[in-house]
Amino acid sequence: MKKSQIRIRVNGEWHELTVPNKKTLLEVIREDLNLTGTKKMCDTGECGSCTVLMDGMVVNSCIVLAVDANGKEITTIESLSQIGKLHPIQEEFIDKGAIQCGFCTPGMILSAKALLDQNPNPSEFEVKKAISGNFCRCTGYVRIVNAILSAAERLRSENDEGI
Amino acid sequence: MENFEYFEPRTLKEAVGLLVKYKGGARLLAGGTDVMIEMKGGYVKPKYLINLKKIKGLDKISFSKKEGLRIGALVTWSTLLSSKPINQYYPVLRETASLIGCPQIRNIGTIGGNICHASPSADSAPALMIYEAQCVVAGPGRERIIPIEKIFTGVQKISLKKGEILTGFRLPTPDTESKGCYLKFSPRRAMDLPIVGVGVLVRASDGIFQDVKIALGAVAPTPIRARRAESLLCGMPVNDESIRKAAGEAVKESKPITDVRASRDYRLGLVEELTHRAIALSISKNITLE
Repeated sequence: MKKSQIRIRVNGEWHELTVPNKKTLLEVIREDLNLTGTKKMCDTGECGSCTVLMDGMVVNSCIVLAVDANGKEITTIESLSQIGKLHPIQEEFIDKGAIQCGFCTPGMILSAKALLDQNPNPSEFEVKKAISGNFCRCTGYVRIVNAILSAAERLRSENDEGI
Repeated sequence: MENFEYFEPRTLKEAVGLLVKYKGGARLLAGGTDVMIEMKGGYVKPKYLINLKKIKGLDKISFSKKEGLRIGALVTWSTLLSSKPINQYYPVLRETASLIGCPQIRNIGTIGGNICHASPSADSAPALMIYEAQCVVAGPGRERIIPIEKIFTGVQKISLKKGEILTGFRLPTPDTESKGCYLKFSPRRAMDLPIVGVGVLVRASDGIFQDVKIALGAVAPTPIRARRAESLLCGMPVNDESIRKAAGEAVKESKPITDVRASRDYRLGLVEELTHRAIALSISKNITLE
């Protein structure tokens, strides 16, 4: 048998699928689930455009087999905005001009989210390390780093208000 | 990428059985950060892919001062980075892990996979060599232990026989007085292989080098220990002249090639500079502590 049955939870919803063994998680996300926010670029695990969270950790979905993601919790860029309201990281990317062509943006934002989920108050160096696997060929990174730092600040103050 | 049959064995015995049954047609999958690239590029076309992740215990780390460290082959770089015993007793291994790839790679890439891919520039090799790791190998016969230096036989070649699987590493507890570091020279700080990588572990007392281990990456068909440089330095006074001599010896032990990353001569220059720097840096760590 060169196909397998898998069950993956994407953005909170379980999906049962039969997939060819060679199909990548990226291809399943884009082609079977029609979630095209996750981008396919280098397709060899170099550029980070296909970054998704798997059980809360960033992975390059182009080098993860869908069969290997069986049973996992996947988060894609589509889940970040809630009821039409963008996530603070997304808003800061827009406000700080951190988006030009936009192709790296979904991966970049998910790397930022994984960082801020673990470390709400990162240094500039920690931000740079967190996005070191995400290539941007337009902006030169400065605005991206600024956007993530100001998103961190905003999220911290929003959490403080919550308390 | 060509399609394949896919297996998720639950035990090592089952995995070995599959490897034996499918002989050359099978490949093992650990993290996949190398094998997926090879499959996508058409460099390897396995008919059967055997995922090792469902085998219990292969992703575990354990430590005791008496027994030393045990690292399962499927331990990821991120797991390794969060391990307290590794941070405390094997800091060079931790330093190495922090320099590998990027978060996306460290979250799935494994230490066993890095060794089995057997790249001359494998980042994990110098650290495992200076800590004198033993590779634990399961197979159709009895479990075998192979010293890390003997596991590499050539560029992307390892000494495992048909049906054998690298299951992990055993590292003796290092002397608490020893200090070391791993210097990786690459144009980028992330997502890059070393042009040259140098790992050292040294112990000095009373102004004399008592114990020295030097391992070099990307300077020969396999990662190597610079044994002659090590013995030259042992017993010598801790000063710049001794370290310069040892670094010069390490150059003589290196046989690098010219490739897309750097020329042979450039690499030889790097061996000298980085070996000197790594020993000097380690010694200064030693001094700070005293």
